[in-house]
Amino acid sequence: MSASGLDLKIADLTVVYGGVTALSNVNVTVPPGGFVSVLGANGAGKTTLVRSITSLLHLHKGRVRRGSIELGGKSILGKKSPEIVAAGVAQVPEGRKLFPNLTVKENLLCGAASRRDLGGIDESLEQNLELFPQLRPLLNQTAGLLSGGEQQMVAVGRALMSQPALLICDELSLGLAPKIVHRLFELLTEINQARGTSILVIEQNASLALEHAADAYVLELGRVLMEGTAAELRGNPMVQELYLGGGGEAHTSYAAIERPRGGGRRRRPAAGGAR
Amino acid sequence: MLLAFGNFTADPSVNLQLLIGGLALGAIYAVVALGFVLVYKSTDVLNLAHGEFLMLGAYFALTFLVSENLNFFLGVFVLLLVMLVFGLLVHYGIMRRMVGQGFFAIVLITLGIATIIRALLLIFYGPTERARLDLLPQGSFEIGGATVRHVDLIIFAVVAGCVLLFFAFFKYTRLGLHMRAVADDIEAAAAMGIDPDKVYAMTWAAAMVMAGLGGLLFGHVTGAIDRSIEAIGLRAFPAAVVGGLTSLGGSIVGGLVVGVIEQFANGHLGTKWREPVAFSVMFLVLLVRPTGLWGRKDLERV
Repeated sequence: MSASGLDLKIADLTVVYGGVTALSNVNVTVPPGGFVSVLGANGAGKTTLVRSITSLLHLHKGRVRRGSIELGGKSILGKKSPEIVAAGVAQVPEGRKLFPNLTVKENLLCGAASRRDLGGIDESLEQNLELFPQLRPLLNQTAGLLSGGEQQMVAVGRALMSQPALLICDELSLGLAPKIVHRLFELLTEINQARGTSILVIEQNASLALEHAADAYVLELGRVLMEGTAAELRGNPMVQELYLGGGGEAHTSYAAIERPRGGGRRRRPAAGGAR
Repeated sequence: MLLAFGNFTADPSVNLQLLIGGLALGAIYAVVALGFVLVYKSTDVLNLAHGEFLMLGAYFALTFLVSENLNFFLGVFVLLLVMLVFGLLVHYGIMRRMVGQGFFAIVLITLGIATIIRALLLIFYGPTERARLDLLPQGSFEIGGATVRHVDLIIFAVVAGCVLLFFAFFKYTRLGLHMRAVADDIEAAAAMGIDPDKVYAMTWAAAMVMAGLGGLLFGHVTGAIDRSIEAIGLRAFPAAVVGGLTSLGGSIVGGLVVGVIEQFANGHLGTKWREPVAFSVMFLVLLVRPTGLWGRKDLERV
């Protein structure tokens, strides 16, 4: 059984790389069992936020200058990444970051690195294969040779192997076919509802994220620009203009220019709302 | 043309003798190359002190097995244990602080470690050379006109056993899996809750233990034990490179191939040709396959 979801509370977080400020005074809250999305363009500080939570900043010469990060009421700031995973935070890293020379099965088993109940690992593996039946015949394949979609499934499965209380997905949609991305987001919703796992998705694909998340934040240049329920943000003209590929006018932000298929995305929030 | 340099012979018993000697030497190269590759693969450190590690093993073998005259198996156990502790010291004392630093800065650190080990051995053991170890059975037997020394046979068997144990460890244990994961992608490994710090420490410890074993074995076949035997590290380098710096299996095959080639060069062309021929083979392999015979570029679809 999975642990039920824990809440994440990021308060007043300021992160710097050398002299460059990547996040300033960021406040983000994921309620227990919540589904929250953080939106933003390249360079908005989204991945920095993930690294801060999972304590991987030091690998990129970054550090937290101010603020607090609490999981389930306990501070996880300053702990080492293995302790944070053991506390219940799992992540699907940006770009998937599988272990390319390991097999699919070995990749999944690495996700269980923090677990002490060795007996329960096989059960989690089986759960994963029920979630992603496509992976069953690929178990002994070298992960680096899988297609992008298959790799992303392994990455999600690997994160789930630790039975997280909070699952963080960084740019799940990047470089994948829309159909696969939709299926993955539906799975996240299922996991969120069935297991009560708290979910934090970091996304450039705003329409998709707003369709599935309950609450959302918009990051720009390291600050929280807007926050609210997903429905509020979908209705916000500025979000529509900048992140949902507004109505045919000239885009002033590169965030919008980077979405060549932006026009097609406008329909999706409507479709989601009708469901 | 080349014949003018050497004394080629087609006598099968001579060639068999060279082959046997080459395999025994190659087995030692394989152990050295394995430790070298292990560190390189896991921690991305090109460890130029590995020859010194092995020399340390040989000197410790002198201390525990000759001076202290411990029971053979107890002595070997103590030797490997001490080497393990030294490996942990290398990680926690020095290499850990270097994580994330530039590749060449770290290579220079390993050169520094090599220098320190040489200096410490000079301080504690003095400059006098010692007789080689004779703790393994010293007899020999004849086969097809060639002499097989028991020592060579034992070296070969011990190396084969260790290699199998090593592969089983990597393939079937949790720590082995985590070590391979860290070698593949340290950030992803950390994100999964694997502690790279621990994995690195275990890697250095394992490399040191391998070097201890290598020192114990090499101490039986070298002319004498002195501070020049660290050159084995340099001589095993072609073995590691031929096999591909990232392939543990490749380092074994590379070791055997280079050992046999060296012995044949030694027997047919003369001692001075050993190293030029070994390094020429390395260059040739690198010309054809820049990643070595079994080394591979990372499989990653981006």
